[in-house]
Amino acid sequence: MDLLEYQVKEWFGNIGIPVLPSQRIDHPTDLKRLKIRYPVVLKSQVYAGERIHAGGVRIVETTIDAIAAAQTIFNLPIWGELPEVLLAETKYDSKQEFYLAVVLDTAVCRPVLLGCKEANIDWESAGEKLQYVVVEQEFSPFYARRLALKMGLQGALMQSVSNVVEKMYELFIQKDLDLVEINPLAVNAANEVMALNGKVSINERAIGRHPELAELAAKISQRHSSYKNNSKLKDLNGGDTQGKIGILGNGAGSIMATFDLVASLGGKPSHPLNLRHGLLTDTPPTSFGDRLNKGLNLLTADKSIQVILINLLGSIPQAEAAAQVIAKFIQDHHSHNRRESHIPYLVVRLAGSELNVAQDLFASVEHQGELVLVEDLDEAVAQAVRLAKPVTFQRVKVK
Amino acid sequence: MNLTSDSKVIIQGFSEFISETNIVQMQAYGTNLVAGVNPGFGGQKQYNLPVFDLVEEVVAQFGTIDTTIICVHPYQVLDAALEAIASNIRQIIIISAGMPPLDMVQLLRKAEACETLIVGPNSPGIIVPGKILLGTQPSEFYTPGPVGIVSRSSTLTYEVARELTKAGLGQSISVSIGSDAIVGSSFLQWLQILDEDENTEAIVLVGQPGGGSEEAAARYITEAIDKPVIAYIAGRQVPPVKNWQQTGTLAAVIGRDPNFGTAQSKLTALKEAEVPVADRPSLIPELVRNELKVLAVG
Repeated sequence: MDLLEYQVKEWFGNIGIPVLPSQRIDHPTDLKRLKIRYPVVLKSQVYAGERIHAGGVRIVETTIDAIAAAQTIFNLPIWGELPEVLLAETKYDSKQEFYLAVVLDTAVCRPVLLGCKEANIDWESAGEKLQYVVVEQEFSPFYARRLALKMGLQGALMQSVSNVVEKMYELFIQKDLDLVEINPLAVNAANEVMALNGKVSINERAIGRHPELAELAAKISQRHSSYKNNSKLKDLNGGDTQGKIGILGNGAGSIMATFDLVASLGGKPSHPLNLRHGLLTDTPPTSFGDRLNKGLNLLTADKSIQVILINLLGSIPQAEAAAQVIAKFIQDHHSHNRRESHIPYLVVRLAGSELNVAQDLFASVEHQGELVLVEDLDEAVAQAVRLAKPVTFQRVKVK
Repeated sequence: MNLTSDSKVIIQGFSEFISETNIVQMQAYGTNLVAGVNPGFGGQKQYNLPVFDLVEEVVAQFGTIDTTIICVHPYQVLDAALEAIASNIRQIIIISAGMPPLDMVQLLRKAEACETLIVGPNSPGIIVPGKILLGTQPSEFYTPGPVGIVSRSSTLTYEVARELTKAGLGQSISVSIGSDAIVGSSFLQWLQILDEDENTEAIVLVGQPGGGSEEAAARYITEAIDKPVIAYIAGRQVPPVKNWQQTGTLAAVIGRDPNFGTAQSKLTALKEAEVPVADRPSLIPELVRNELKVLAVG
């Protein structure tokens, strides 16, 4: 989960990273009560990057200009996203700009400090320009000084930059972040540093232990219904594939294997959803049955999905409760006419002694071919692909 | 690694990650479960096990504990593991899923310093078919035999075991090291253990996109592993996860290949190491059989 710039700056300010005086603008008329001095920079608060090129950042000198610019920015979608708020910030004259980041490197299982004496780095050549320090043991400020020196900084500037890195690391640990980035960190003529823009990515697994983040996550999901429904799904399949076969499973590897098998048989897989973990918005925690229910409803709501392939192997928490969710789903949709209500077929692959309970339960569920129960994975995939094939409707002659 | 049936085992925490069935299955398998640790429930019996509030109380009563199986809430895993290390437990299996990665970073620093083996988090543990079960691996898919399995995915571990068993190929040891981005023990450690294990004749390695552990394993197989290895990589057709771009960017910075973490990069590395790769789980037994035949002839 990413934060918007104004939220990032609030965090920066609280932890002691220098930020400019700024004000949150919810409506263009808020600019009449602006407490900061002109010239002012108005910035669109959207998640998309490249705001500047898209015209989402404007420098204004007077209240009239500011209101006009704010009206324009509020109505300017950037990558399809309209801002809900703007940030008005004092203009800063920088003589030099740096890039700084703290990121979790899962390959070395350690946080890494990154720094560059250029902002807005071209990532193609980043390898040559960026300096990095791996935080091997417990953090201590010398790691930050090591980075600043590697960046080629000296004296007071070396110290002020390493101070900023130290604060970034503190924030990184305190809020369970995957990434905290300052781009750019501006340096003025007096060698004072200032975080002009920042990015923060929160690790979704830790949201539950930060009440203020849980609240924020809930707000984001309420505001952006598309985010709520699809973010996790899109994360997993890299965009809407318009697939016909939705996949649910009880493990990441297992759903990936299922996805591969469907694709290799010529089927169009979509929306693989891992039921092992809760979603970003699932606070408080959910049970396996809840997640299964949610997954079924999400996939059913997608009209391109014709078959839901559920692959459950081994053991799942509360197997019987989970089976009841599937049984109830079938019962609820049993009376509907499939073609009218777009109810997908269910192909359920179950294997494992704990899942025998589920198998017995399904045996008693009344259905008209919308439920296919299979034990072997290859066969389950073959069935799903077969059911997702376009049906050629024959016109019925009415006499 | 002590994987014998006299090794003393405890369970820390009872949560959704472990059920009574799992515990009964472990006991039926001959695992020497001596106690459970569940703060606030000391003195009681849960799931047929005497329960203590602290790990050190168990040690005081039963002596050195070899392995702990951690099933507490993901936010309490770090504490539980540190408690186990403080009580000189040197084998830790973390079943719980959803542990915050920065907690794992902290735990790994400690584990490295204390030479503690950590399997997981998000792992169903280890099974030595016919001998011992440490964790939640469904034993019904296993049968004793010569094939070792090391995997990064829980369910795929059983999928592979089930296919092998169906084809009449039993297993020697099966471990899922956990499917989280940061896990304790590595493919390398387990390849080494399986290479040294006298009951293992062939090894199946199961990987998936993310990180560079399959690539490291491929290099290690060329350099140090004498037994035949078969691989399966899931997620070849799955478009990359958004988050991996971040890792990709970082990879470029730290001088790693731009393909870092992709299934393609893993397949290339395995090909270079001349490791046969199965296209799907059901094709693994055939490849294993081919390798075992070559061994028998050679």
